[in-house]
Amino acid sequence: MATIISDEFDGHQDPEESRSSRQTPGIMADQNNTDDKGKFYSEILSPSELFAARSRSHKIPVRGQKDFFPDDSDEQKQRLEHSLNEHWSLLSEERVERLGNLVNGQWIPSKQIVELQSPAGKFWQTMGFSANGKQCLLPEEALYLMECGNLQVFHQDLPLSIQDGYEKFLSANTVSLQQYQVFGHLKRLGYVVLRFDPSSESSSYARQLNLPQSSDRAGRQLKRKRSLSPAPSSTPTATCSRAEAQEECSTEKMEEDKCSEGEEDKKLPEPPEAQSSADEGGGRSWWMMDVLGDSDKDSGHGSKSGSSCWDFSSISFPDLGSTSREHFPSDLAPPDPSLLPRDLKVGFCDIAPWRQKINLRQVKMSANEQKREKYRRRWDVNKNREVRRCRNWAEYQELMARRKGKREGRPAHLWNREVTPLHDPTQPIATGELLEKISVIKPTHLLEGASRLKDADDWRICFNVYQPNTVADFKKSNPGKPYSRMCVCSFDDPVPDLRAIKLLAYQSGDIPVVIAVVDYGDISFYTFKDFQLPTDVYP
Amino acid sequence: MYADFRAPRRRLRVTEELEAPLPLSPRERSHFQAELLNQHVLVCDPEHSQKIHDQGYFGKGVLSRSRPEHNISNQWEQHEGVFLPVVSQARYEELLKWVGSALSAQGWDEEAVHQTLLRLSQPIQMEDVRNQMGGEGEAEENGERGKEEPEQEGGVSPQMKRSRRGSEVEPEAKRSCSSEQDSDSSLDCDPDSDPDPAPLVPGPGFLLVVSDSETGGGVREVRRTPFFLSEYLQLSLEEAFFLVYSLGCLSVYLQQEPLSIVQLWRTFRSLRPDFISSYAVYHHFRSKGWVPKGGGGAKYGVDLMLYRKGPPFYHASYSVVIERADDAFRASPLRPFSWRSLAALSRITANVSKELMLCYIIYPADLSEAELDSPVCLRRLKVQEVIVSRWVSSRERAEQDDI
Repeated sequence: MATIISDEFDGHQDPEESRSSRQTPGIMADQNNTDDKGKFYSEILSPSELFAARSRSHKIPVRGQKDFFPDDSDEQKQRLEHSLNEHWSLLSEERVERLGNLVNGQWIPSKQIVELQSPAGKFWQTMGFSANGKQCLLPEEALYLMECGNLQVFHQDLPLSIQDGYEKFLSANTVSLQQYQVFGHLKRLGYVVLRFDPSSESSSYARQLNLPQSSDRAGRQLKRKRSLSPAPSSTPTATCSRAEAQEECSTEKMEEDKCSEGEEDKKLPEPPEAQSSADEGGGRSWWMMDVLGDSDKDSGHGSKSGSSCWDFSSISFPDLGSTSREHFPSDLAPPDPSLLPRDLKVGFCDIAPWRQKINLRQVKMSANEQKREKYRRRWDVNKNREVRRCRNWAEYQELMARRKGKREGRPAHLWNREVTPLHDPTQPIATGELLEKISVIKPTHLLEGASRLKDADDWRICFNVYQPNTVADFKKSNPGKPYSRMCVCSFDDPVPDLRAIKLLAYQSGDIPVVIAVVDYGDISFYTFKDFQLPTDVYP
Repeated sequence: MYADFRAPRRRLRVTEELEAPLPLSPRERSHFQAELLNQHVLVCDPEHSQKIHDQGYFGKGVLSRSRPEHNISNQWEQHEGVFLPVVSQARYEELLKWVGSALSAQGWDEEAVHQTLLRLSQPIQMEDVRNQMGGEGEAEENGERGKEEPEQEGGVSPQMKRSRRGSEVEPEAKRSCSSEQDSDSSLDCDPDSDPDPAPLVPGPGFLLVVSDSETGGGVREVRRTPFFLSEYLQLSLEEAFFLVYSLGCLSVYLQQEPLSIVQLWRTFRSLRPDFISSYAVYHHFRSKGWVPKGGGGAKYGVDLMLYRKGPPFYHASYSVVIERADDAFRASPLRPFSWRSLAALSRITANVSKELMLCYIIYPADLSEAELDSPVCLRRLKVQEVIVSRWVSSRERAEQDDI
């Protein structure tokens, strides 16, 4: 009936000598000796069995050196077999307990707890609670103690086996199997693990007020020396949480309003810009339209090939200031009448008086200046490809503006558009200020907006975990702040997304949350912590 | 509840000094130029690429591990007062063969190729080398440095490599030939009055050819470098956009036309589907003064590595995975994790002494498509950093500090 399960070797167990559940302590019955040949399973040890159990070797099988791959040798096979056998024999060892050391308890399914019927042992310091004048244990604690060999639980006057314990104590109402595995793992390492009760966690508002935390582990009210209000502890926190929720809602609404206001402001400057560009676009070609108008009126005399541009290379513009030796004819011929406005008659022009008014003396230049003059003569602005691409004066001016912008570090294609760079590189600025200037993306923290998720149900914290070295001073009535909180999930479950992380952070408050991932008995723990990368400015 | 900040680990051997945290010099008014070629952003001008890389560690040389420092040889020797790269005879002949095949591929006939190769492989007198170097301003520094070389050892070659980076761009061998002919005939460089963005860098290279010890017995001869290898600086899309938008110091040209900020944003968004998230994360870390480098995917399985100050100074402190979340914080994960993959990534990260960081970009619910079409939408995004670490339950209890 008492099946033995020992998946780990418990260092802190003294092998005790009784398997019996019902007999009074201390009796060793010899009457079963004769029937002990394997037909009837006796729970009380015969003297020889007891002696065998007591003098069992306590050696833990040592793990030898690792062989990395099979080499089909007999020696390797033998070693492996030997090692396996050692492990199997260790696992199949029956644990022997002294009857007197077993604490008795009773399973109460209606309340899903175990009531102790004999005084609790050392474990009472960190486990169990008092209810109705009796000492009680939570189901996971009871199962753990059963596995340790400290506790015997009865149900309807029959002792429960470990298997019964697993079946009865672990359920959806209490603790799931995976959660129990994590519980057991942590307890065996020495941690103190208590159940997490969300309602006993003070809200953030209460935390702000620095209210002392109450701990009712089984829902019972505890008397406090100082009470801030005559009402029991649950209601102030409830009202506080409601008030705080309202506060948060209102602040969130304010934030949203501010955002929408900001958006409206942004929208306003855009339409006027659009208009001005349209004007510019229209304005650029007004003189082209006029030229077209003229040429139409002239009935096709003016423009060749139907285009509105004149071919300036074919029109001769006399250079009156030319210093060449060729004499100009004393008068100029009138230009082509098609180039002139209508009704304008031009005759020959006597240019001699004009030339007299011009200073035609040669300039004396030094050697350097002459060289420069020679280069300047050779330099033709039209040799530049970009200049050749400009079709009219306005485009050439744009090119000049672009070049100027580029030269000065503020090119037009970046600065003359709707979206400009965040920083003007021609402005000197200290690095720290520059970093502030370009920080347009706001950092946020886990608790921001987390209150919206508080009704969600899928990720829950199960346990509070306290560090092992605090066991000596541990008081169940005032455990203090836990070291961490546990949330248990399976290895096949999805990884928590941001929503889940926020939800857990909200439930926990300021204690870090550890997620225990259970993979058929193997447990790994991961934390997802909030972080703000510090700004790094170095001169 | 908050993860502790662990100080970054300094590298053992630091051989450089930080020039500046960002490539800004208001007095010089330098504006950098890059081209968008085949979906890559490349900076061709060596001066620009040097400044962009060394002031902020943006980009990567296409032929090198970090900064563009490809050289014709890794060995340099001092020869009659001048520092030259050393190349073995076999290698030199191989280089000549490459030039020959490139020229024939261009359609040159065999005789012309042969003549050119003969001309190229003439031994050079040291006076010519010194004249050449004296003729150009840039090379003067090289000459001076050449004289200084005998006093310094070892650590000089990386600096020399930096100064020698001026090599020409020549995907077409014809152009390379014409430039070689130019350098053959005239020692002056043509002052280019044409402000074309053509990456011509003056200065032919010389090298020291060591004949095989069997025949010549290690005799060293100075020859002309047969061809020039160019190296560009390649910028990732996020780095390029940061330089254009946040600092205003770079312009990206597409087919000779500069792109405005909005055009660049749209182009990059079309090249990469979640450009907004990856750029937002990049921008966030840059605005904290850290140096994010991409390319961590192949090495560490994450999107970004975060360095303090720059890769030459510190080991990377964080491996960053970029995630996006909507207003209800539900993630539409860019790379879905399972516990198995998260455990693997966490282990790898711990093995290389870094911390795994998940960086969530939270998009508000009312962000329209039109707003997403302009970088102004960045102001509405929020960043949440989460550090993922493994907790070991069975560590020595006495030494356990806070999780």
